[in-house]
Amino acid sequence: MNPQNRPFTKGLPLLFRGEHHDRLRIIDKQPLIASGHRLDTPGRPQRPLRRNSDGALLGGVCSGLARRFGVRVRTVRIITVLLALFFALGLAAYMTIWMLVPRRDESSSIFTRTMNDRRDKEILFAILIAVLTLFIAFITIGVGPPGVSLWFLALSCLEAVMVWRGASEDERENLRQVSSNLSKTRVGRTDGWRAVALRTGFGVIFVIWGISLMSRVSGEHGAAAYVLAGASALVLGLFALFAPWWIRSIQDLSMERRARVRAQDRADMAAHVHDSVMQTLSLIQRSANDPVEVTRLARQQERDLRSWLANPETFGAHSSTARTLSQAILDVESEIEDNYDISVDAVLVGDIPLDDATLALVAACREAALNAAKWSGARDVAIYVEVEAKQVSLFVRDQGSGFDPAAVAPDRQGIAGSIIERMRRHGGTATVTSSTGAGTEVELRLPRASSST
Amino acid sequence: MTAERVPTVFLVDDHALIRAGLRAELSGHVSVIGEADEVAAAIEIILERSPDVVLLDVHMPDGGGLAVLRAVNKEQPGVKFLALSVSDAAEDVIAVVRAGARGYVTKNIEGPELVEAIVRTAAGDAVFSRRLAGFVLDAFTNRSLDGLSAPSLDPELDQLTPREIEVLRLIARGYSYRDIAEQLSIAIKTVESHVSAVLRKLQLSNRYQLTNWATERHLL
Repeated sequence: MNPQNRPFTKGLPLLFRGEHHDRLRIIDKQPLIASGHRLDTPGRPQRPLRRNSDGALLGGVCSGLARRFGVRVRTVRIITVLLALFFALGLAAYMTIWMLVPRRDESSSIFTRTMNDRRDKEILFAILIAVLTLFIAFITIGVGPPGVSLWFLALSCLEAVMVWRGASEDERENLRQVSSNLSKTRVGRTDGWRAVALRTGFGVIFVIWGISLMSRVSGEHGAAAYVLAGASALVLGLFALFAPWWIRSIQDLSMERRARVRAQDRADMAAHVHDSVMQTLSLIQRSANDPVEVTRLARQQERDLRSWLANPETFGAHSSTARTLSQAILDVESEIEDNYDISVDAVLVGDIPLDDATLALVAACREAALNAAKWSGARDVAIYVEVEAKQVSLFVRDQGSGFDPAAVAPDRQGIAGSIIERMRRHGGTATVTSSTGAGTEVELRLPRASSST
Repeated sequence: MTAERVPTVFLVDDHALIRAGLRAELSGHVSVIGEADEVAAAIEIILERSPDVVLLDVHMPDGGGLAVLRAVNKEQPGVKFLALSVSDAAEDVIAVVRAGARGYVTKNIEGPELVEAIVRTAAGDAVFSRRLAGFVLDAFTNRSLDGLSAPSLDPELDQLTPREIEVLRLIARGYSYRDIAEQLSIAIKTVESHVSAVLRKLQLSNRYQLTNWATERHLL
């Protein structure tokens, strides 16, 4: 269809001329509705009776009737409102038609759809029974049968529930549109004055009606029914008067909150990306000719991002001071990876807090990994830490060149002093297994004595 | 014997670069019979071509590797899965393995090792990376920080036999199956059967600690 077919919204108040509304109409309606702006003028009666889908105030009942009988829609609306004041008859009739008459371009009415849906039907019957029980309760308490208007009001409420549940997606969208338009109405805007007058009139009428009903309570029979009806009318009226502001403030509040949260997230993300990824990328560009440096940077960045993804909240919190064994080992891992062209991969099972002995263990581990990085020529070194019930075991293994332990001069400080002697001082042991060409494994064991006492 | 036949492999990964890299590394060693970059397509083509091994990326949109694994397992339980991921998040790894993957390797694995892992998977054996071995040890022995004060001897703790624990420790230390067999003076086949037994326990055990441990790890 041609998107130029817009003018039929012209005769409608701005309130019902939402963008979305337009789009729906253009996409799926027949060209004959291009006569839509004739809605407001009397024309030929048209069959069958269908609720109007364009320019509907609520359910499109009035404009549907107007179209069916060829009269002005305004006339029908005024009659409906007057009838509504008369024992709420207009309201009940409106809701009944809304429910029973299909919307234009829809094949079934809300009523038939509800009856075809088992769950909706059950809900409907449940409400029906509740209402009947309430009325029977009224009668048995002795307040007498409720007044006619109360019956009509109850019927209307029931039908309203049905309509809301049974409305098609399209119609529901339309209703949402109407309600959001209501909340956007601004007093003093020339296009919106009609809507404001309508709403204010509606509210004032209901408030007056409610007060008058309630003021009739004077010990006469069936007074409770009037109180109830009056109260509902009052609530309805007050709602009509103040709902726009209320809805708008709620919407504004939640929208603002959501926007703030999103902005905060975006700022955090941007800050992190800038601090880490951008910095690294620029460093990589500068050292593009140095593969070792690039690898090191990429590795560092990967580790950084990984720990950030795993736990964005506490990221960076423990980077300076490790508090547990696993954090300390991970620090060793990053330190060596950053300074040497070797990949260090630590697998950790269990964890304990750091103390003097475990710090010595970490230091020995660092020394062993450093040796591997400096001398082995291997591409990676594997660290495995397991916290057992009685001891902590730590293995540092590479599959590099290896060496003959017997051939190492006894005065070499690296292994003897930094690893073996250090472990012995804290009651642990260190074993170095290596042979030329088969790699090296350093095994460190530290008994756990302190934690039990 | 099927052992000598070159296994057919299917690649599932949403990054084209990774797939290209894998293809290059695997060419000549195994026969790559297809690849897919999304869950729905992967399921369809895998069911159609029935590869020996599916190399499965754990992290993908629309349900990830888990969705592929579940759907294919239901139809063709004979297709074996080897999970491949950059993520070392324990709960992801454990979830995929428990759903039926025969093993888990990280994306920085080297070509020859990956080929070996695929051949092993095709033969029906389990593939445990160092990290997966660490995860299993951690989960089954339950010695995390706050578990320390709790009595460490729970009757169910013995679900892994001492020998299985020994094998897992050696894997975590970086030993190959051959090294392990040598170290423990047993046949490689025996090592493989120990690892398969651990995999079965990992998949079938409904130990409370397993899930508990994984969620704990996520929070850590």
